[in-house]
Amino acid sequence: MATGCPFALDIFAEPKDRAEDPGAQFDFPLMPEGQAYDMGHAPDGTPLFDPRILQSAEFFRNPYPYYRILRDHYPVYHDRLHNTYYVTRYEDITRCYFDDEGFNTIPKGSSSGVLGNTQLELSGVEHRRRRNLYGQHLVGQSLKNRIPAIQRQAREMIEAWDGINDTSVVSVADGVRTVELGMAFANEFPIRVVCEVLGFPKEAQDDFYYWYNSMMSGLGGSETHQQGLEARQHLEDYVEGIVEARRKQPTYLYDEAGNPISKDIISKLCETKVDGDYLSTEEITSNIALVVGGGGETTRGAILNMWYLLLQNPEQFEAVRNDDSLWDAAFHETLRHSSSIGGQPRHNTYDVVMHGVRVPAGSLMEMVDFSANHDERVFKDPETFNIFRDDLYTGKILRSGYNKNGRRNHMAFGVGPHLCPGAWISHQEAVEGSRILLKYLKNPRINTERMPKDVDGVSLKPLGIVSVRELHLDYDLA
Amino acid sequence: MTESGLTVIGANGVAIPEGTHGDAGFRTYEVFQRERVGQSTAKIKPAQLVSREFADDPYPLLAILRENYPCYRDWLNNCFWITRYNDVTSVFTDDANFETRPKAWRLGIEGFGRDLRAALPVLTAQADAWDANCRRLAEAAIADFARRGEADLATEFAARLNMQLWLAMLDVPAETAPQVAALLWRLHRGVSWDPHVRLEGMAAADELATELAPLLEVRRQAPGSDLISAVAGLELADGPAQPKDLVATLLEMDFETLHGALANLWLALLSRAEEFDKVRGDSRYVKLAVLEAFRHSTPVIAAPRFARHEVERFGRLIPKGGLLLCSAAAANRDPRIFADPDRFIAGRKDICHREARGQYRADGLAMGITPGLGPPTMHPAVPEDRPRSLYALTRDALVTASTALLEALDDMALADEAKPPSAICRRLGEMHACWHLPVRFRAR
Repeated sequence: MATGCPFALDIFAEPKDRAEDPGAQFDFPLMPEGQAYDMGHAPDGTPLFDPRILQSAEFFRNPYPYYRILRDHYPVYHDRLHNTYYVTRYEDITRCYFDDEGFNTIPKGSSSGVLGNTQLELSGVEHRRRRNLYGQHLVGQSLKNRIPAIQRQAREMIEAWDGINDTSVVSVADGVRTVELGMAFANEFPIRVVCEVLGFPKEAQDDFYYWYNSMMSGLGGSETHQQGLEARQHLEDYVEGIVEARRKQPTYLYDEAGNPISKDIISKLCETKVDGDYLSTEEITSNIALVVGGGGETTRGAILNMWYLLLQNPEQFEAVRNDDSLWDAAFHETLRHSSSIGGQPRHNTYDVVMHGVRVPAGSLMEMVDFSANHDERVFKDPETFNIFRDDLYTGKILRSGYNKNGRRNHMAFGVGPHLCPGAWISHQEAVEGSRILLKYLKNPRINTERMPKDVDGVSLKPLGIVSVRELHLDYDLA
Repeated sequence: MTESGLTVIGANGVAIPEGTHGDAGFRTYEVFQRERVGQSTAKIKPAQLVSREFADDPYPLLAILRENYPCYRDWLNNCFWITRYNDVTSVFTDDANFETRPKAWRLGIEGFGRDLRAALPVLTAQADAWDANCRRLAEAAIADFARRGEADLATEFAARLNMQLWLAMLDVPAETAPQVAALLWRLHRGVSWDPHVRLEGMAAADELATELAPLLEVRRQAPGSDLISAVAGLELADGPAQPKDLVATLLEMDFETLHGALANLWLALLSRAEEFDKVRGDSRYVKLAVLEAFRHSTPVIAAPRFARHEVERFGRLIPKGGLLLCSAAAANRDPRIFADPDRFIAGRKDICHREARGQYRADGLAMGITPGLGPPTMHPAVPEDRPRSLYALTRDALVTASTALLEALDDMALADEAKPPSAICRRLGEMHACWHLPVRFRAR
């Protein structure tokens, strides 16, 4: 078509593949695990990063090559589509986590809608004070006191397998029992533990599953936010009655011999004062909501991922079987390799310049823990699961982090003032639960036939940025 | 890494900003509590707001926001959507609490050059160039396709006229015009989330500075009446204007509204026989149709504003740095302001016939918000020594061009009634416009 203005049509022409998709829901092709889709290059060879990948199915199953691009080329990546800055290197994230003033957690807000007023959105002394309200019950001697209860819960659950009739969960053939470890153990085990330490009656456990599932999948930004709000309201209605009862009559945790160890957390919260006054029921509910949300999914994922990764690496599994003390290393390496929590949002209180990128004050900065844990600047050969690696700290979890003799802490629990308050109890649940599991499971191996498959229909589904959802194990009965 | 200016108090080392309860701040429980119970997302999913569906036709989704969640917290895209007319204008005019970040920041070339748009000679040069050339260039474009009996009005008329007005405004020599046009297009399109076009835009900024540098020098010595001469002649405190200043200025100028609104206007007219008849029958209606096009199908559907500090508005806590996407498209179809807002009515009774100036709406009526043309000025009258507003300038260019089209062609109709064209965003965040408008006609 002649126009008399020869440039007009040329410059409006669009490359066909992109013109066909004006939206942000581009279907990126699924790549072999570990390989990134080619999103184009700058003239100097720098790979381009299309922010739409962050919401794609490809990214969810195969995130690490994309994080590597960010770490290597855009350590502070400004995602203009989602109005977010991503920080992906270990050192940068560590510095930000320790700078509670400059990189505040307020107003994160995406969780407050569902969880309520928790310390997640607070900083400084205000944060510490509220965190300590319940955090103190999850560490040190308080935690040690709870270990027998954790062990008992694990035993009770495993011994109940004989009575399970659902063959998709437990089945037996030719002297081999097949269990789906999620349904049979890992989904419910952390919930039972949290229920017990909180002081919920046993009959609350079914509701508990509903609360934590709905609340965690209903955080702000999700498509199931409404369900999250409803679950939170349901929890609040339920807790109100418990709290009223505990205010009058506190309840206790007991050891094996039936002696009281300490009050449960709700009873403790009922007698806690802030600024001279008792916590309101709403405040207690919010703290409970956080424990409910934080105490379920993450530990479930840690147990399943740990067993999956160990059984995928039989020589490492064998080593753990022969040396009980290696469970700690296995737990930490699992969380480094594939944790359940991808990162934490921060807002910069002031204008900052990082790696030449000016970030205006108040911007949302996502600290990508997944990426920090796979930062080759800190962890050699980061995509490899290796419980014997000499660059990972596997000792007691420290709020101050760890950086000695070439070993560093992983970032799955964060570090600094906002380090996950459930880190220690989560560690104990996963390790103690696994020790007991191992006693019952003779010659365990993955039943690959039943496991979810990747797109090729043959290889097992990659872990990606979601934990193993189901883990089918075979073990010998005799 | 940070600058704080804090006073440290207390043995525990906790620092509180001096003389304020704010910046590093702590929230009250009360505010969060209100947020928690205040809103759910049941009627819309945030992913829909970055979907193909939204890019194709944002109006149904924006209506859901406007009627249910007037300040919608979009967690996926980390912004607040403001969709009611009075809310949008209040944020546009509230510079105490909100700011518009320059396109240079959005493109990623912050500090590239100085934005000289506000200088009077620059404003005057643009107004003079558009007034002097609009009719001539519109007629030239029409002459090129008139004899064919068919044309694509979106590309051959709307896009071309916009581009040629820019070239005339810069007085670019014919031999370099195609190159400069392509660079201008890439530069403006580069203000995007898409890394491909952004990279092109960044490169275009450099190339354009190189391309225009000789012209800037020549015009410094021998000025004409064009915009480059106006920039070259500015006496600036920190030295004479450089090529990068010129490019930075061009980047911040509106590049979309004339193009998009002209295409959308003609799409609306050719799709509605009754309205087209009005315009054909009475030239007074051309201006009214233009005003209605600004309202009914504004090409820039939302404009970003950022909170300068934490502020409570619309029943929500807007954090410092929070992004408010002020949707002109949603506001312009707010039934609280405009009767039967989805209908295109040339000559509607409830629209202001001139730029309604912020809170001082001249006749109590609202106008079609066109974010590309900047917020309505707060002042009720334009100072006499300044050219008329960009809103008026663009309106007049649209009237002039459309009048030329009406005078030159008869029996205009969509080329294929069975497949009517529509307005879309070709890429999410780009202008919402009719990109192809095939028509048939008879030349007079």
